[in-house]
Amino acid sequence: MMLGQEHAQELGEHAAGAAEKFDAGKTIIHHVSNSPIDEPLLHLPKIAGIDLSVTKHVLMLWLIAVFVFLVVTFTVRKFLKQERPIPVGFMNALEALVEFIRDSIALPNFGKKWVNVYTPLLLTFFCFIFCANAIGLIPVFEVLGLLDHFVLHTGPDSFIKHLLEGGTTATSNFNVTAGLAVITFFAIIVAGSRAHGVVQHWINLVPHGLAWPLYILLIPIELMGMLVRPFALTMRLAANMTGGHIAILAILSFVFLFTEMFGRAIAGVGVGLAVSVPLATAISGLEIIVVLVQAYVFTLLSAVFIGMAIHVHH
Amino acid sequence: MPDDERSTPLEQSLEAFQETVRKSGPAAMGSYSLIGAIILLGGIGYAVDQWRGHAHWGLLVGLVLGLIVGFYELAKAVFRR
Repeated sequence: MMLGQEHAQELGEHAAGAAEKFDAGKTIIHHVSNSPIDEPLLHLPKIAGIDLSVTKHVLMLWLIAVFVFLVVTFTVRKFLKQERPIPVGFMNALEALVEFIRDSIALPNFGKKWVNVYTPLLLTFFCFIFCANAIGLIPVFEVLGLLDHFVLHTGPDSFIKHLLEGGTTATSNFNVTAGLAVITFFAIIVAGSRAHGVVQHWINLVPHGLAWPLYILLIPIELMGMLVRPFALTMRLAANMTGGHIAILAILSFVFLFTEMFGRAIAGVGVGLAVSVPLATAISGLEIIVVLVQAYVFTLLSAVFIGMAIHVHH
Repeated sequence: MPDDERSTPLEQSLEAFQETVRKSGPAAMGSYSLIGAIILLGGIGYAVDQWRGHAHWGLLVGLVLGLIVGFYELAKAVFRR
């Protein structure tokens, strides 16, 4: 009887040990994905079966939208109130960005007639995606978590504890990038319809002057192609933003994996100092470029797609 | 004095990088559309299989359609004047 009890206790301890074992995959996914919908930051009612509760990525989207709106509006209004319209400081950078997007992305794709019509859309895309990407590299909530752990000591259900759930990069969420791509999808239709008329835009989807049996093949292919373009935008941005973070976290997880493998903390610390931290720092440096390039590529591809609807060539 | 002589090597590198990325826009569109078409239509086919209980026919048809649409989009990007 005693032996049975001891065996059961041993099994229980073993099970507890196994439960505490470091699971790199689970930890990484927890750190890049959105906070769970059943533990939202703000509870909101369901409308038409859709839970409208605010998760971490939704909060990030709101914060970024407010940040971009306030910074740009404040800077431009301040500039317009000046007696001499000479841009200085941040306005200088903003003007350079606007000129860059207009001259190197919008103008070659839209042409002179439409450049000023669609440049604001591209600028909004670029600023919003850039800020959303960039904030993922800044450990704002992690610092808040440290402050909470050592100073504030809030309860387990506090707002700060919920903020520590999930990742901060909203653009690594497929729903966010899908939302942005849907805007591009409708922008393509609007741009084509404004340039050629509603009916002619749909006629322009397929090349003219072909034998009629070919149209039976081409019309469904073109319609499917219409859906593929926003999907490609969605997939590309979200995958790129998730990939970089997964790479950094995977390299940092070596510390815990080696500690577990050798049963000594010094092994993990050694691997961390020699490999993980330098490599993660280097990849973080690379991520700064990725943040810029991904915002640029999304904007560029949106411009190419919209430009194709305006200037139809088959 | 030409621009190249005035700008620093870093500026020249960044300008070259920017020019490369700008020119690669249509090519990137073609390649992403190819991959996107295969994943999207293959995924729809797989979802139809799961829904209707077919044995992989939906996935197969979806992948073939994805290849056709993807290569059509790629050809449009490559041969666009």
